[in-house]
Parts: sequence; C-alpha cells; structure tokens
Amino acid sequence: MNPTRGTHATLVDLLDRVLDRGLILDADLVILVAGVPLLGVKLKAALAGMETMLRYGIWQDWDAAQRATASEEARCKKPVTASCSVTPVCRRP
Amino acid sequence: MYGVAEGEKVLSLGPIGLDGKEVFTIPGEGLCAIVHGCPATPYQSTDENTVIQWVRTHQSVLDEAQKKFGTVIPMSFDTILQSKNEAVSPDQAVRDWLKEEAGRLLSLMERIRGRDEYGVQIFYTPRVIASRIAETNPEIRQTREEMTMRSPGVAYLLRQKVEKAVRAEMERRANDWFKDYYARIKRHCADIVVEKTGRTEGSKIMLLNLSCLVTRDMVKDLGAELEDISNTEGLTVHFSGPWPPYSFVARPAIPVGEVVR
Repeated sequence: MNPTRGTHATLVDLLDRVLDRGLILDADLVILVAGVPLLGVKLKAALAGMETMLRYGIWQDWDAAQRATASEEARCKKPVTASCSVTPVCRRP
Repeated sequence: MYGVAEGEKVLSLGPIGLDGKEVFTIPGEGLCAIVHGCPATPYQSTDENTVIQWVRTHQSVLDEAQKKFGTVIPMSFDTILQSKNEAVSPDQAVRDWLKEEAGRLLSLMERIRGRDEYGVQIFYTPRVIASRIAETNPEIRQTREEMTMRSPGVAYLLRQKVEKAVRAEMERRANDWFKDYYARIKRHCADIVVEKTGRTEGSKIMLLNLSCLVTRDMVKDLGAELEDISNTEGLTVHFSGPWPPYSFVARPAIPVGEVVR
C-alpha cells in the first residue's frame, strides 16, 4: 500500500496538520501567535462529517477509551522523573 | 514563518508564499527561518476556498524548502513574529528568536532527520461487521432463528435483543482490533501519536487515527503492514503522506532520548 497526498480525503489530513499542529512560538517571546480563524475549525468539522459520527451513539466513548489505552501503555513504559511525572501521549487534551 | 531548516543559508525561494509573497530565509545558529514579510496581523478569512488555498500554499512552501534544505521543522499556519521594540528590525527579531530557541530546534532536527510523517486511519463498515457477527455467533444465530417462529410481538423483542448483542460484540471486537493494529503499526514507527477518531466516511466509522513518524527506509514495511490489515473484510485503510512532521514538533509524544521499541 502506497501513501497518497492531494486527494479529497487527504485534504482533511492536511488541514488538521497545518492549522492545528506544527511548531508554535512561546507566548512570552517577541511574538504574536495568531490563532487560526474560527473558520478553520468549522471547515474541518464539515469536511469530517461529524454529524454522521454522532448518529452512532456507541462511538461517543470510543475515542476517549482508545486514547486512554494508548496513554496507559506509554505510562507503563516510562520512568517517572521528578520534573515530569506524566507526559501525555496525545498532544491535544 | 513557514518553518525552520538546517544550515545557515541566505536564499530566495521566489514568489511562492501566501498571496504570491516572496519567500526567503533568515539565517542564524546553524539554522534558517523560512519566511515572508507581512504586517503583524493574522491571516483570516471567512471564505473556505481562501483558507484551503492558504493551507496548500503553506504546505507547498515547506515541500520546496525540504527539497532545498533537507530537514525542515514545520511551523503551524499563521505564525507571525513581531518585534517588541521598534528599534529592532523584523529580521533581527527572527535572528533573536533563532538564537533563543536554537537548542530546542536543533534537538528537534535530530528527532526528525531522515523521517517523515504519515497519517494512518482505519475505517470499518458496521453493516458488514454486524452481518458477519450475526451469521457466526451461535447464540445470536439461535435467537434469530427463534424470531421466525414467534409472534410479531415476541419477534420484535427478540430482534432488539439481537441488536444489542451484536452491538456489544462489535464494540468488543473494535477494542481488540484497535490494540492489535496499533501494536502492529507502531513497530514500523520512530514515534506515534493517537489522534482523535471523530471522522466518518459515508457508512464507515473510524476505528483508529494515527500520526506516524517513519524513518524513510521503513515506509515500505509500514505500507505492507497496512496492505495486510486492509485485506480484512469490512475494513478500509487510509495512508496519507509524506507530510512534514507537524505532529512531532510541538511536543514530543515520546520524550527525547527514550528508546523507541
């Protein structure tokens, strides 16, 4: 299987990454960190078909459960240090 | 600012920036920032196509930068540096920032060198899975047979019972799949982030959504693994990339220095 770019499906992947991720600057520097226009968020929701998702009520908890599994796994492997006892696996809470 | 690349090069990349702006580099500390000049006001628009166009442009500038410089740390869209003090030129503000952040930026470079990000999503079709469960689970099969022999009222209740049992079984299987596929995919990745699964595609539901940081010579192996997973009935796999490592530069999912198994 080969990875693809440039299709409609990968547009969502691109928006997710360019708008929400990537390196950001620390707020106390010389900087204006411009948040992305709200539109970015709305646009992504529309592309992602969120409404359809919610029709399947059983899946509402799925996301949280799944991420918990992954972070639990990461926690078990990680030595606990004084400065940083827990490092979240998911970048966004 | 689009990103930060390795090497102190002073170079123009041409008018390839947002709204056709001239993109150039500002060097310092063994690095260079890839930028265009703009006022200190964020890019905002209420027009979807404009935003999509901006995002595509941001990405294409990073593609170009990667071709020219190799490793590039991608910045988030709409990251604008403004000098606090009018006596400091914008270029100098960028140099100051590079100097201040050089340590962090260089260690990020080490993490991402020779690696790209890939998006992996696995979807499944509940209808297909449900009918397979209904056919193969002996208990459910028996209840379904019983349904045909009962009065409409009882049959209705039995049908509800069947639906509930199918759903429970589907959830159990999805949980097993997630663990299994996550482990199998992780083997081929230098780092991995579990992303939100809030997306559907027609009648398909997203089971798993991962951002994977993959060393270039491991991409084939990951592709083969995904090919294998996609051969399962009722499953669809999306494999996108290569992307700049957007998901691995803000905060490492696995702290720097930890051995990735």
